Amino acid sequence: MKITRRTLALGGSSLAAGAALSVPLATPALAQNEPIRIGWLAALTGPSSAPGVGFNRGVLFAAEAINAAGGVKGRRIEIITRDTQGDPTKAVNATQEMISQLRVHAIWGPTNSGESLAVTAIMARAKMPNIHPCVVDSLIDERRYPNAFRITPSNTQWDDAVRSYCLTRVKAKKVAVIGDTTGYGVSAVNASVAAFQRDKAEVVYKANIDATQPDVTPDMLRARNAGAEAIVFWSVSTGLIARLLNTRANMNWDVPFVGHPAMSSGEVGSLVERPSNWEKVYAIGYRSCSYDASGNLPPRTAELVQRLSGKVNLQDTLLWWVASAVDAVQLIAKAVEATNSTAKEAIIEYWNGLKNYPGYYGTYTYSPTQHNGYPTEEVVMSAANSAKNGAFALAPGY
Amino acid sequence: MLASIIASGLAVGAVYALIGITYNTMFATSRVMSFTAGQLGMLGGVFGSLFALRLGLPILPALVLTLACCALIGVVTEIVAVRPVLKSLDQHLYVLTTLAVALLIQHTTAMEWSTEPQPFPRVLDLGSGIWDEKYWLPVVVCILTILSLEYLYRYTLVGRAFVAIAEDNFAARALGLPERNLRIASYALAGAIGALAGFAGGQLLLAFFANGPLLNFYGFIPVALGGLGNNRGAVIGGFLLGLYQQAANFLVGGIFSSVAVFTLFIIVLLAAPQGMFGAQAVRRV
Repeated sequence: MKITRRTLALGGSSLAAGAALSVPLATPALAQNEPIRIGWLAALTGPSSAPGVGFNRGVLFAAEAINAAGGVKGRRIEIITRDTQGDPTKAVNATQEMISQLRVHAIWGPTNSGESLAVTAIMARAKMPNIHPCVVDSLIDERRYPNAFRITPSNTQWDDAVRSYCLTRVKAKKVAVIGDTTGYGVSAVNASVAAFQRDKAEVVYKANIDATQPDVTPDMLRARNAGAEAIVFWSVSTGLIARLLNTRANMNWDVPFVGHPAMSSGEVGSLVERPSNWEKVYAIGYRSCSYDASGNLPPRTAELVQRLSGKVNLQDTLLWWVASAVDAVQLIAKAVEATNSTAKEAIIEYWNGLKNYPGYYGTYTYSPTQHNGYPTEEVVMSAANSAKNGAFALAPGY
Repeated sequence: MLASIIASGLAVGAVYALIGITYNTMFATSRVMSFTAGQLGMLGGVFGSLFALRLGLPILPALVLTLACCALIGVVTEIVAVRPVLKSLDQHLYVLTTLAVALLIQHTTAMEWSTEPQPFPRVLDLGSGIWDEKYWLPVVVCILTILSLEYLYRYTLVGRAFVAIAEDNFAARALGLPERNLRIASYALAGAIGALAGFAGGQLLLAFFANGPLLNFYGFIPVALGGLGNNRGAVIGGFLLGLYQQAANFLVGGIFSSVAVFTLFIIVLLAAPQGMFGAQAVRRV
């Protein structure tokens, strides 16, 4: 069709009219009463779903509690959940949906580092306020991802806690470092070995064992022959953990295992040949979720457990999953409350100013140059076989 | 240490050999390479743990039920994934269909059973150390299976009918052998053998859904090494593979052991493409 001045004028004016009509739709007059939409990227089914299920309980409890108390300045919390099944592709799709179509105000999750690695850049591009519990170090970069905040310790902080326990409380001068053959296992073992060597400790044996290797006797024999006084362990594979512990018992060796929290999971309990095989295993835990020598939780966590009893089942999950999720929802709610706005920049700026914020799971401090907010002092070692209502007893030496 | 490598090498080798026999049994009567063999092995362990531990049945009924369930799954595989593609074997559609069934089995198990390895019960509770039941049971089961299959194929009518179908499909049908029923029976038999592999190896491999693809890969190597359709070759190939894999785990460590295994596999196949023992069994006329 021939383009004439007439068509240009008609087209231009209809475009302008359309734009003028749509502007009020983009900023509705009821903005101040609309619910606070929190996106929740959860691996609720599939592998690595146990943490997701635990976090979910905390998320739903916190949202319900806030809404029952009248919401945040009258605004309800709305949790929008997407089950990513631990699949990075699904996580990416869900994140795009949350950013573009659902227009959430902040996102909690994903729950696995693999998924988080896939979505971090997307969230950064959209400047979406994001809190997540994933440990891989590279997920937090205050320059590239100024919108991303970590609620848990980083892998380096885990490594620091394990190393400090081995050197100062177990007093081991020679250690063996063992991991699985996944990307996480290889990088965690390498980082751990380098850190031990920097601290002038001797790493007498370093190994990456395939998680499906049916017999780990040769590896354990070599560790013992090298004189290891402690075994530092980095893997989530409960089958591998059980095989190592059973082999340790069959060798009549009582070397302590120190490392990844997966060693304290219930599956290990059902896979060891005898309950005594699970002794002298110290897994990463958190002071807030640990019983002291008299069997008491710290007062703030005890209060949370009191509020959860009857509503949230803690028997088959970990307390820190529930507690950290409660903290995450409350951090978002508090940000909206303090800044009276759900604008992304406002929420991020509020989080950047938090100092010693008293959460249930930890005491968080964030700044524009530090988005790893969990204090390393609160990472402790737990006796792996001491789970009770999702919390653990402190390992000996604290 | 050497004793430990030999014990575990022979044990996993026996499991791989049994999966190789599963592949061969399914191939023999249908000329189809069914990629569900490894999943049947995985299910042997999962069902064994389900019946014996979760449902608390005594070990023998649990074994029988496991064999029955996996035989049923073998039959279902034949109906769903094999029969429709038999007409166009040269297009290799069976790769798609059997792989699809294998993935279905794997993911259903992950969702319904658990994504973490579950314990497998003690079967006879005999032996300890390197003479522990988890090392000698798979080897004994493998030897018994191969002897039983030899007996079946040589001295029983049904077994000889299987061999007839495998050797010359048209001649067998011309002689009046019920080809379809024999094929269904051989898939049921293959299912039972796979279940036996998983059940015997359950204490080593645990009841874990990820064993499926693992056994698929490592169970295929004895088949390739021993020649497709050759059970004895599969057994020898399986034991050699198991020993080599455990030695590689020990020598080069977990990350590179699978590299070592597949490198050797490629070298062997380049040197002897028909497998170590040749493809065609010599037929006496």
